Amino acid sequence: MTRAIEIGLVACESCELVMRAADPITGTCPRCGERIDRRKPNSLGRPLAFLIAAAALYVPANTLPIMVTEQFPLHRTDTILSGIAFLWSEGSWLLAALVFSASVLVPMLKLAAMGVLLFTSARRSSWRPRGRTKLYRVLETVGHWSMLDVMVVALLAAVVQLGRFASIEPGPALIPFAGVVLMTMLASASFDPRAIWDHVGPRSVHERE
Amino acid sequence: MGELAICRYCDTVHRRADVSVRATARCVRCGSPLYHGNADLSAMLAVALTATIAFVIANAFPLMTMSVNGRQTEATLWGAIVASYDQELPLVAAALTISLIVAPLIEIVLLLSVLVPLRAGARPLGFSWIMRAIHIMRPWRMVEVFLLGVVVAVVKLMGLASTVPGWGSFGVIVMTFALATLGSFDPVALWRRADEVRA
Repeated sequence: MTRAIEIGLVACESCELVMRAADPITGTCPRCGERIDRRKPNSLGRPLAFLIAAAALYVPANTLPIMVTEQFPLHRTDTILSGIAFLWSEGSWLLAALVFSASVLVPMLKLAAMGVLLFTSARRSSWRPRGRTKLYRVLETVGHWSMLDVMVVALLAAVVQLGRFASIEPGPALIPFAGVVLMTMLASASFDPRAIWDHVGPRSVHERE
Repeated sequence: MGELAICRYCDTVHRRADVSVRATARCVRCGSPLYHGNADLSAMLAVALTATIAFVIANAFPLMTMSVNGRQTEATLWGAIVASYDQELPLVAAALTISLIVAPLIEIVLLLSVLVPLRAGARPLGFSWIMRAIHIMRPWRMVEVFLLGVVVAVVKLMGLASTVPGWGSFGVIVMTFALATLGSFDPVALWRRADEVRA
């Protein structure tokens, strides 16, 4: 099992053309014109910055109301958590669980997992590289599902426009919440998973299997 | 060196082998997917056309209709975006426009502009530019999340008023599956085809 970096090969990130390249790499892919890099630039600093921004936005996203419901004479202000509790109390357990996963669990796990990946990569750890790669792939896949609540609120606001009888308005938490999702997506996109393997010796790979 | 594939997760070099359609080649070191079996060009074109029609339906018809005391309101995709804009949330409106309209539309249009000429045996105009644009656009499309959002919204409204999903939701469902199918294509196969055409 040879790694591309050891034999001077590099693949274009966009068209996957494999080419020989001398260090330092400058220039673009001869086939599609994409910029060629051996590793994503500043692949620890950038994700860390996005991660800190996400963690900061996480607080207002969860404490401020995300949705205001007027249903005369009732006036309801919901945060993400109280919205989920409401779904649960209405008997929609499956949906409550879905929204809880998408809006609470996934962002929290993303923050924690990204932290673990950055910490272990910065320490040049050779701990469970396969598992960490898997973790990164999960992060990539689930990342955008947290946009669920933003879309639900926008849809509800669009449909419930019944004048003085009932209306639903987005609350101030919507923007920081969308910000958390965006920042965690950017964090995982700017992290380079090859950094996980750059400090793993050829032997330690199978010891963990 | 066109027959090599480098794992984008762990940098391991592999020799490409043929994989059957819908099968996935995985990295021997880290287990990540390397590439998918080459889809038939005609099949991809058919799916892309389906996605186009579904996109039109999703945008043209209401996603759901709600009735209270004989009054009906309809929610369209565009209506949801306008509503968040009207509530002084232009950032949310922009995010929704990009993830639900711009990204899928650009992806469908770009794929068609690549697939139609390739199918006809010609090299598409601006091929490399289009392939790069598809690569950049893809992560920002969130149609499948929106689909779940429609389901959640309908269920939430059931307590408030009688709510029925509309044809627009059907369009969103079809578009979700069509785009997911197109998303697993191997760009290398399209590049190889384009290079054959030029030669």
